[in-house]
Amino acid sequence: MLFQRTFPALIVLVALAVLLSLVGCRPSTPTPAAGETPAPPKENVAVYAHPTSFPDIDPSVSYSNDSAVVSNLYETLVWYNPPMHPQLLRPGLAERWESNADATEWTFYLRKGVKFHDGTFLNAQAVKYSIERTINMGMGASYIWDPVEEITVVDDYTVRFKLKYPAPLDLIAASGYGSWIFSPACVEAQGDKASEWFNEGHDCGSGPYTIESYERGRRLVITRFDDYWGGWKPGQFTKVVFEVVEDPTVRQQMIEAGTADVTYDIPRANLAALDARPDVVVYTNPAFQNLVGLLNVRKPPLDNKLVRQAISYAFPYDRFIQTVVSGYAVQSHGPVPLGMWGHSDQLFQYTYNLDKARELLAQAGYPNGGFKLVMTHVAGDLDERQVGEVWKAELAKLGIDLEVRGMAWEAQWDLGKSDPMQAQDIFVMYWWPDYVSPYSFLYSMFHCEEETLFNLGYYCNPQYDELIDRANALSGSNRAEAERLFIEAQKILIDDAVAVFFYDLVNTHAVRADIKGYVDNPAYPHVVFFYELSR
Amino acid sequence: MKVWEYILRRLLLAVLVIFGVSVVTFFIARVVPSDPAALWVGPRPSPDQIAAARVKLGLDRPLYIQYFYYLGNLLRGDLGVSIKTHQPIVRDLRAYLPATLELVLVGMAMAVFIGIPLGVLSAARRNRFLDHFSRLVAVAAVSIPTFWLGLLLQLIFFGQLRWLPIGGRVSIETTLYHPIQTITGFYLIDTLVTRNWPAFRDALAHIILPAFTLATYAIGLTIRMTRSTMVEVLQEKYIVAARAAGLSERTILFRLALKNAIVPTLTVLALSFVYSLTGAILVEVIFSWPGLGSYVTSAIINVDFPVIIAVTLVVTVFYVLINLVLDLVQVVLDPRVVLK
Repeated sequence: MLFQRTFPALIVLVALAVLLSLVGCRPSTPTPAAGETPAPPKENVAVYAHPTSFPDIDPSVSYSNDSAVVSNLYETLVWYNPPMHPQLLRPGLAERWESNADATEWTFYLRKGVKFHDGTFLNAQAVKYSIERTINMGMGASYIWDPVEEITVVDDYTVRFKLKYPAPLDLIAASGYGSWIFSPACVEAQGDKASEWFNEGHDCGSGPYTIESYERGRRLVITRFDDYWGGWKPGQFTKVVFEVVEDPTVRQQMIEAGTADVTYDIPRANLAALDARPDVVVYTNPAFQNLVGLLNVRKPPLDNKLVRQAISYAFPYDRFIQTVVSGYAVQSHGPVPLGMWGHSDQLFQYTYNLDKARELLAQAGYPNGGFKLVMTHVAGDLDERQVGEVWKAELAKLGIDLEVRGMAWEAQWDLGKSDPMQAQDIFVMYWWPDYVSPYSFLYSMFHCEEETLFNLGYYCNPQYDELIDRANALSGSNRAEAERLFIEAQKILIDDAVAVFFYDLVNTHAVRADIKGYVDNPAYPHVVFFYELSR
Repeated sequence: MKVWEYILRRLLLAVLVIFGVSVVTFFIARVVPSDPAALWVGPRPSPDQIAAARVKLGLDRPLYIQYFYYLGNLLRGDLGVSIKTHQPIVRDLRAYLPATLELVLVGMAMAVFIGIPLGVLSAARRNRFLDHFSRLVAVAAVSIPTFWLGLLLQLIFFGQLRWLPIGGRVSIETTLYHPIQTITGFYLIDTLVTRNWPAFRDALAHIILPAFTLATYAIGLTIRMTRSTMVEVLQEKYIVAARAAGLSERTILFRLALKNAIVPTLTVLALSFVYSLTGAILVEVIFSWPGLGSYVTSAIINVDFPVIIAVTLVVTVFYVLINLVLDLVQVVLDPRVVLK
């Protein structure tokens, strides 16, 4: 009887005792016993609460969010500067570079005294090895090196690239994907298991940090490389922890509590309140990424330019940006996003104007609409879905029935690559550059394709193709002229209404206020260069 | 039938089940619209890269030939390579599976040590305060959405009280200053074995909230199931006789009655265990717990079919083994059960 009465209470007491014993439980730095060496001083640690894990941290393959890590371990020959910087590029592992008149030959002069994490030194052979490995593996962003015909080691600190055709190799070498330089000896030591070895938590870079530990899907720790050629100053971080935290609410709690120092992808509705806190700063900057609706120009009725223009006038750009995206976007001026070279604020923008839309539809022979369109987007992407829902409501006023179809990316892309007459009418997707050039946007989405890849509106205009190809050829030798031609090409796209350029994205990063030196660089999305920060 | 004969027969049947599951999942994964070669290459694959990847992955072979290669690798313990991460799946499973198993086992332990006693006492004190309280707890436990409960617990125990961590398996301080030597992948065991006490306390503190969140539904089920079967058993004549003979209430409840009432509860717990291996995804996301649920969910989104097939097979193996163990436990508990 006594046991019956007391058993429940006993359970509760035991549970409470366990809980209380763990309250505030934080393991402390071990206190050394008498005669033992004192524990090392506490590190200056930064924590990056990151929303995704890191698929592949092999520098020749990395082409995803793993760049957040990789960019702190490795370096490129050249770096792309943040917007507003007077120079487009700055030296990286190359102190200077030059090309011949038509940009078919590039020479990079390397920095001396740069040590890799394995103790070997940077030289021209390492550059040749790194890029050739990336090309030969043929994965990730290796295709950016397609123009390269031959890489020659001129001397220990000079490397020459001979190209098959003119290309902006300086921009390519500044890419955040596929342009990392690493130690050949370090890679060779792993044989054909190098890729696995990298993903077990190792690196062969020359960057300011090197991997200390890696718990897949959970946590990656990088530690300061003492022999980094750039040197170290007091206050810089000695360790950085990349903490994979998928839930945005949890990331927000962490940044508020100070258990994370940097994060992004916080719910937009919470950003203003977060920024109002004295201990957190929310940095808002243009991203080199936009949301585009590619219109199927082969399939009726969108094969009619007037119909395409009409539906371009039917989207409420400003209202959508202010209410749905809470102002964290900017209506696009064509396909090249704000902040990138090749962008122009002078380009025509479609505005929300249903009267104009009706007029165009009438001219096209659809005074009351009376047709159906299918718009595909990635299922699970709320913004894409809301674009569809809002547009659907507006198109309905014109008598147009828009089916908004959310699909897995694989299925959406598969459908897009099929026969244009059977495919979607509108393909909604994001685009961002593999290396920072308008060509990435203008070629990939609008250049004629024999086999459909990403030109998912099936647009083919030889005049347009010639214009952007010529611009790309000049990108390396006459950037100003190249930019002028890229802008001319964009005018063609806008006039032909081949796509609806919804908006350019804006990056928001939440950073603890006691951290100094943070500057967002959209050329390296969501990469935090911790070497530049201090506390 | 002798026990060893029964076990052998069941294991042979298990092999057939696993083979069947491998065939079904393999062929279903192949007919889902996707391009594994493109996924293998990366976000912007060129046609040449896709063609090369197709050859490398053996996707240019007839489907049945692909399956035979797959089966051959499977027999050698090679579960293939993830198309998304390009890494051996066995290595990924070695990282993710122990994390989930640890979470689920602690959760099931909570379900057992909270749910069963409450269910027993609820039946013993039917229609009194404890019974009403337990039934309320049970209904709430099975009704509360897991993700909501997890967020609420984080808000209270981390956000307000700072008593417990917000998520993860161990704190950053442990990783930096008391690194855990991985032996089994079960942090509670590894830290105990290596006597890494700061890390043990930290790992224990980290597992409480996610395990409790995961266990809540099972706790509710266990209370209800145990109470229900105990109520029936307590009305049996031999219980009346035991009371008349003067046996203590504790002996009657926990040694006589529970032994006969526990089997359905064990069945429910066993099924909950297997379900939680991949069903813990919401808990894993909220508590940043790097487990099988989030691993396979990511694979499904990316149509990473080698991972999908591998995880399906792993779960199938667990399901078969758990059912085998359950059948043997039933024989031990209930002599009326005969193996055949």
